[in-house]
Amino acid sequence: MDFTLTTDQSALMSALDRLAKPFEFRPIDFHGFALAGDGLECELDDGGYFDIAQVPELGSLTAAMAVERLAWLPCTVDTALSMLVRPQLPGEWPRPIAVVENGRPGRFVATAKTLILIDGDQVSLARVTPGDVEPAESLFAYPMGRLKRRPAATVLSAEDAASVRTWLRVALAAEATGLLQAAIASAGEHLSVRKQFGRPLGSFQALRHRMAECTVLAGGVRWLALKAAATGDPADAALAALHAQESATRIAYDLHQMLGAMGMTLEHPLHLWTYRLKALVSELGGRGGQALAVARHAFGH
Amino acid sequence: MDFQWDAEQQSFRDTVRAFLAANLPADWEAQAHGPGSESQSAFSKKFCGALAEAGLLVPHWPQRWGGRDADAWTAFILAEEMWAAGEPRGGQYMNVNWIGPVLMRFGSEAQQARYIPPIARGETLWCQGFSEPEAGSDLASLRTRAEKDGGFYRISGQKIWTSYAGHADTCFLLARTAPGKTGMSVFLVPMDTPGITVRQIPSVIGEGDIHEVFFDDVRVPESALLGAEGQAWEIARAALSLERVGIPRFALASRMLRRAVERLRREGRYGHGAVEQSARAHAACEAARLYSYQIVDQRRHGTPTGPEASAARYATVMCERLVGEFVVEHLPEALSGGDPLLLAHHQRAIVAGIASGAAEIQLNLIATELLQLPREPR
Ligand SMILES: Cc1cc2nc3c(=O)[nH]c(=O)nc-3n(C[C@H](O)[C@H](O)[C@H](O)COP(=O)(O)OP(=O)(O)OC[C@H]3O[C@@H](n4cnc5c(N)ncnc54)[C@H](O)[C@@H]3O)c2cc1C
Repeated sequence: MDFTLTTDQSALMSALDRLAKPFEFRPIDFHGFALAGDGLECELDDGGYFDIAQVPELGSLTAAMAVERLAWLPCTVDTALSMLVRPQLPGEWPRPIAVVENGRPGRFVATAKTLILIDGDQVSLARVTPGDVEPAESLFAYPMGRLKRRPAATVLSAEDAASVRTWLRVALAAEATGLLQAAIASAGEHLSVRKQFGRPLGSFQALRHRMAECTVLAGGVRWLALKAAATGDPADAALAALHAQESATRIAYDLHQMLGAMGMTLEHPLHLWTYRLKALVSELGGRGGQALAVARHAFGH
Repeated sequence: MDFQWDAEQQSFRDTVRAFLAANLPADWEAQAHGPGSESQSAFSKKFCGALAEAGLLVPHWPQRWGGRDADAWTAFILAEEMWAAGEPRGGQYMNVNWIGPVLMRFGSEAQQARYIPPIARGETLWCQGFSEPEAGSDLASLRTRAEKDGGFYRISGQKIWTSYAGHADTCFLLARTAPGKTGMSVFLVPMDTPGITVRQIPSVIGEGDIHEVFFDDVRVPESALLGAEGQAWEIARAALSLERVGIPRFALASRMLRRAVERLRREGRYGHGAVEQSARAHAACEAARLYSYQIVDQRRHGTPTGPEASAARYATVMCERLVGEFVVEHLPEALSGGDPLLLAHHQRAIVAGIASGAAEIQLNLIATELLQLPREPR
């Protein structure tokens, strides 16, 4: 057991910090729901970051850290599936990758080159051809898209399907980790600055405790996500995804509550994280689905 | 105690439902683009006019003002059916809930004669100018000033989050005429008075809902003052106590919950997880319903409503939360074009704990007034 970063991991995280810096602020005239990080995508691609899980000194654990770090940004790119799930797919599949779960609209579906199609127990893979997908207008802060027609797909074996599910859970938890932390930081800034009744809001114990609880939850999600990325174990992955979805549901509510009306505006960036979190909570069967997987692995239910 | 509706109440509900069935197109919400939008405002004028003609806009008002002196239950059953239908009255719900009644209580004869009849005919929109950038929960710290100048007041300052301001005819404005809580006064300000600028705030909750309103040396005659100088705190309290339990959010929440469950069942998606969560949300809705009914019953008996109103409001916030979370988790496509009604509900539900006063302030009131706990040091 060792919770410190290796030299390679530290170096990679520093490089990512530098790369992320110019993307930390939104364009001031941006008043939309989802901010697609096209510039960021190019830089990540040029730097080979989408393939770090395949680098022996780095691996999936470091990829999960990268996903977490990049989810802090207000703009969004498919990092999680590209970095964590793609290396586990049978064969070579181009990124970006998106999931279509039981035909529903999904994140990045309109721009993906590879689709993971989940239909009940069946998982299949498809290459997108023009005209298969279209953008969907949405309140979620990801570019959402939907299928226009079903592309020809390769059905995965039960074993491969289980592995894809596991890594989708890891990806979800890693992404949620960064989103949760960024959302908490954004609300924390507001509570430090905004005064009511002559005091900063952050000095009211009712809010201090709530913020502190949010932070503890997010920290728990982080450790579970990183462990799951390190082990690739289905039980760990289910736990991480469950705690991520459970925490996301609660934290999104709490943070919006604490921001007051400001959190309803598109001027404040909070929704860019909370409405990504809200998109994640329904995936892979939601909390109920994750809970079943956890109970099966942990208690043989 | 009796938990059944009597025949008269049931028949009134049936009347309202029949009116809605005949007068409200099923897809009206999808076309109206959210509360406060131009299309919704226009729609609400037509709709409220028809309600008024049918005697269903202000039945709980005195006969003198176009009502029939119906009791608090009538008003609430009406509000439940309207809110459950997505509130086709739009911003005019405020008129009948509290603006009219407050004018009847505090207004001069001239103010009553000018403002109440258009409300009773369903042809006018108001907005509530309370909150300011620096005065949200701490409303008493508001800064907008109204200075006496001969027979006029000159008003300068800024309001924010003002719902319906884009299409409102009149603002129910809180401004400062002297320092302190007792230095606040209410003004009835026509929105076309020179010096008023309205700017819409782009938001997660739909088009045209919240605004900034700037008052730049706005001159109003002293007849625009409601009640006496310094009486705003008393008036605002009366207004907010009507407003807080005036919106039966649980009625729409439980209807939307049912809508979501029916769709999930139809599509074979109502399984483990969804089942338990929907049941919990349903219980929260019913708890909020009974809590709110208790307040209505107090009103009907003329008992002053106390901290239980805050409890009812908080129970309602919880029910909105659980229904909202249920839909996000189990029918997420509703937020991506899959169901305009559930989307509209989501956008309303997420403000339940903020609009008309933050829920945490209600919790403080419950702790102080219901539990009699000592106050937090300030
Ligand atoms: C959709 C919408 C419509 C609205 N329409 C109108 C309108 O028409 N007219 C109008 O005047 N206003 C309107 N408002 C404003 C509304 O009344 C305020 O948002 C509300 O009073 C809270 O103020 P705030 O947003 O400034 O939050 P703040 O006062 O900044 O509060 C932020 C957070 O801090 C908490 N907090 C504050 N003080 C304490 C304390 N002492 N202890 C513990 N916690 C505390 C709050 O509970 C909240 O969680 C609207 C708001 C919304 C969202």
